[in-house]
Amino acid sequence: MKQIQQQLIDDLSKASSMKEVEEIRVRYLGKKGLLTLQWKNADFKSMSPDERKNFGIEFNKTKNLAEAKIREAMEKQQAAGSRSIDVDATLPGTDRRLGCLHPITLIRMELEEIFHGMGFKVLAGNDVEEEFYNFDALNIPADHPARETQDTFWLTNGMLLRTHTSAYQVRAMKKFGTPLRAIFPGRCFRYESVDASHENTFYQLEGLMVDIDISIANLIGVMKTLLGEIFRKEVTVRLRPGFFPFVEPGFELDCQCLICEGRGCPTCKSTGWIELIPCGLVHPKVLEYGSIDSEKYSGFAFGLGLTRLAMMKFGIPEIRLFNSGDIRFYGQFPASGSI
Amino acid sequence: MKISLEWISQYVDISDLEPDTIANNLTMATAEVEGVEILTRTIQGIVVGEVVAVEKISKDKNLSLAEVECGGKRYMTVCGAPNVRIGMKSAFAPPGVTIAGDLKIEKSRIAGHISEGILCSSRELGMSEFHDIILEIPAAVKTGTLLSEIMPEKDAIVEIDNKSLTHRPDLWGHYGFAREIAAIFGRELKPLDLDDLTAYQSLPEYPLEIQDYAGCPCYCCMEMKLAVRPSPLPIQWRLHALGQRTFNLLVDLTNYIMLELAQPMHAFDGDKLKAVKVGPFGKEGTFTTLDDQPRKMQSKDLMIWNEKEPVALAGIMGGVNSEVSESTSKLLLESANFLGSRIRRTSVRLGLRTDASQRFEKDQPPINTKVAIQRFISLVKQSGADHEILSRLTIDGDLKDDFRPVNVSVDFLNARVGMQIPKSEMFRILKSLGFTAEDKDDKTITAGIPPFRSAKDISIPYDILEEICRVYGFDNIEPQLPQQYTEAVHVNVKLRNEHKARRTLALGHGFMEVHTYSWFDDYWLQMLRFDPGKTLVLENPSAGNMSRMRTTLLPNMLNLVRQNNLHRDEFRLFEMGRVYQPTEDDKCDETTRLCGISYRQTKSYNLELHFRELRGILEDLALATSAGDLSLSPLEETKDKSTIAGHQAKIMINKNKVGFIGIPENRILKELAPNAQVIWFEIEFDKFFGPIYPAIKYERSSEFPGSWMDFSIVWDTDAGYDKLIEKIDKFSHPLIVKREFVALYKGKPLPQGKGSYSFRYLIGLKERTITGEEIEEFKKQYLEFLKSQELELR
Ligand SMILES: [Zn+2]
Repeated sequence: MKQIQQQLIDDLSKASSMKEVEEIRVRYLGKKGLLTLQWKNADFKSMSPDERKNFGIEFNKTKNLAEAKIREAMEKQQAAGSRSIDVDATLPGTDRRLGCLHPITLIRMELEEIFHGMGFKVLAGNDVEEEFYNFDALNIPADHPARETQDTFWLTNGMLLRTHTSAYQVRAMKKFGTPLRAIFPGRCFRYESVDASHENTFYQLEGLMVDIDISIANLIGVMKTLLGEIFRKEVTVRLRPGFFPFVEPGFELDCQCLICEGRGCPTCKSTGWIELIPCGLVHPKVLEYGSIDSEKYSGFAFGLGLTRLAMMKFGIPEIRLFNSGDIRFYGQFPASGSI
Repeated sequence: MKISLEWISQYVDISDLEPDTIANNLTMATAEVEGVEILTRTIQGIVVGEVVAVEKISKDKNLSLAEVECGGKRYMTVCGAPNVRIGMKSAFAPPGVTIAGDLKIEKSRIAGHISEGILCSSRELGMSEFHDIILEIPAAVKTGTLLSEIMPEKDAIVEIDNKSLTHRPDLWGHYGFAREIAAIFGRELKPLDLDDLTAYQSLPEYPLEIQDYAGCPCYCCMEMKLAVRPSPLPIQWRLHALGQRTFNLLVDLTNYIMLELAQPMHAFDGDKLKAVKVGPFGKEGTFTTLDDQPRKMQSKDLMIWNEKEPVALAGIMGGVNSEVSESTSKLLLESANFLGSRIRRTSVRLGLRTDASQRFEKDQPPINTKVAIQRFISLVKQSGADHEILSRLTIDGDLKDDFRPVNVSVDFLNARVGMQIPKSEMFRILKSLGFTAEDKDDKTITAGIPPFRSAKDISIPYDILEEICRVYGFDNIEPQLPQQYTEAVHVNVKLRNEHKARRTLALGHGFMEVHTYSWFDDYWLQMLRFDPGKTLVLENPSAGNMSRMRTTLLPNMLNLVRQNNLHRDEFRLFEMGRVYQPTEDDKCDETTRLCGISYRQTKSYNLELHFRELRGILEDLALATSAGDLSLSPLEETKDKSTIAGHQAKIMINKNKVGFIGIPENRILKELAPNAQVIWFEIEFDKFFGPIYPAIKYERSSEFPGSWMDFSIVWDTDAGYDKLIEKIDKFSHPLIVKREFVALYKGKPLPQGKGSYSFRYLIGLKERTITGEEIEEFKKQYLEFLKSQELELR
């Protein structure tokens, strides 16, 4: 009898609906119920009067308890009303499938989308490049310091690992002609020792626009629009001279510090400005190398440091983390920002 | 590069401008300013004194007791400077005066002697950091003169980023910056005082010959005598303010002119020289520079020769054999022009970078060789020092002192700026920068490029554009978006598919994207016993074991399992990256690969299920990128070192191989992570994708419900699923709508090597519900077919 009683309590505790409680009532107290059968099948003849009496008391006690418990369970189910299922919605979810994208990919996807919206094609050059396209075609003469081994990874076959995505400029011009609006993101290499702030492998995004009468005013206009899209607010920019052999005039485009709004803070080294985009009008010699008539056409080019932008956007303090292979780093960038 | 604004104020009036304003304008128009530092000299109460008596009082400490006369007053002072001597004039701080470091001078007792005040070093006057000697003041300055009356108390030192000056040789001197500041603020630039040297035309020429005009386009020299004496104070305080030591008039003037005009000069001991030749070293050997270091020379290194003996490393440093000494009676003053790249090559190789080589590397204009000597003589005369000119100005080579004309169309200028700048303004700006400007016709300007601007810097209309714009002010250019394109911008199908693959893996299958380096690590390859065969090789790798360019992403990816297995007990990684195959003609075939790794830190998980998960992911990938029909070959054990040891299967798209999927053998697993499962795949991505927006063909579903039927067929697991499909594919029937594989069961009561493969058929017709008889008939035919194929139902 004790066993039946315990079993009943267990069953009731598992019941999650009125229907189940009703089933339990029938199972124990129905005409053929477990408890009912205890009485029906009892062998009263072999019992002494005392035993009979005790059995009766015990049976009634159990039956009363059972009825009370069932009533209680029914009330509980009634009270629960519509919540008649046993699901704890506050438990953490399982079977999650969302993985992670590399922070460089996240920035790339974002920029590619912005540029696509501004009418730029997305192209890709090669990591291994001819010396000609990385240097000569960009008006970087043979005796330029950048060509010496301290900056460039050279291959034994005379080719090199491109030192900048600008290496694709002339190839893009030759392949697509004018008018040309294109960006080309990619991996770049510099012969450098790797530490917290130096990497021999990093990512850039080069942009190029060539058409009739492209001007400095156009360059500023496009850069302002671009930065407005990246930072999702109006940004103040300034253009100052910067020297790069493949543009003339060459500029450094600074963006007013978004943290201090130009008042000066540690991020902008108290200058109020963040140096962001080297750019300029494409040097006529570069246009000529790209088989474009430099009398008729002009253009501008600009370079974005994807690695640097990713560091800024995600607050990544050390450049070497990008290629560290450490999943504790990559694991922090859920694939939320993908197109 | 540091600029003293006090020095600049000698050439252009900037008295009303704040240093920060000048710095900011320079950044916006000329070159990047890194900072402005205010220099305050501590000279209140300091007087000019003459040392009238000196007595050594301590040998080991080099202490002297000196008597100093300061305009009638005499003081006794204990001095530790090695250059203190009778008859010299210096700066004296009497008791009560405060010197740099907030130190108040008081009468004191040193080494048993009363010391009233001190003779001051440059540092004690706040002029610089130099502390080893006391300041020497020219004899012409009267004793008792307050230093504050003849030396400005304040200066502002503007630090310019050298990188922004690489193309502007003219800005490696103060006069160049003075010209910029005058142009930016619209002020007058005072001309330099130059001696016209005509007085010496009748003197003999110095024997001079350039034998290598490519390396040395122009060389000027002049022989003279010059008394050894301290430089005038302004020269000294300006040099000190810029961190340059001062020695005597000769040395100081060469430094001063270098910092003023960017033209380095050199003085030889004229007693030791008979004639000058400029030419290469011509062989390998040694040359001792005046810092007493023997330097290993190469044949092409450019030298200055005295007849047959090299006496200077051209443009870098003089030789010890021709150094000016106390016994020197006459000097040969050199002012030369050298080819930047030649100087840089030698100086980089020798690790010997000097102020001179730094400037020559930028390709200085030849005109300055003459200007520097004119300036030298003028400053010598101003100093009042005794001197005698022994030769006329001797020049070999081309001074290139003409203005180079370039024609620029006004329309071109305005179109490239993107707004109209008045022609008068263009003229004003060009002239303020030292250019000439005149109308060629009503549409064209002829600009004359001044000889002091380098030809590398300025030669074409675009260069003129830059000059005008930067002084006009980039901020004054109104931003303007270019005309919108009317043509469509095509999506790059390959790149978009790369992103699609990334998203499929990361969004749908929990992969984490990683980046690894573009080269192999030979040590790791040895550990894997993997030999990639022929690869491209780096000439200058970051480390000896990192010289081979990767031809597969897999080894570097496997390394990440080893690196990360303690961080999580399960992970999936992928990299989308380039691999580099050497081609027949020794070029590079660069392609994109997608490599994935699935890692589980368990042995108990069913490896076949694990593998099927990966296959499912590949199937999703193929579908998402519209690659085509994906299939795998059976797994085979790899045989040679050109693959990662273990088992691998071909990944095929439309029956063409596009990659491999594999399971490393235990030996490798031990290196990666013992007791773990690792499955990898690598796809040649360039062969893997189709259109980004495929035209998927819709098929109408039947309105009449069909009937599902399950069959479990017993089959050899070793023979594999594909072989079974080959067989049952032979059964065709008009009622079949589709067939699905449900499950594979292995184990009791099936014998070893057998599996039960469950399939579910949907049968039906588009136009009506099928009848029970038809279903029975189908079943009968199917079972007969199985029998004919000797296939058993379970
Ligand atoms: Zn800030």
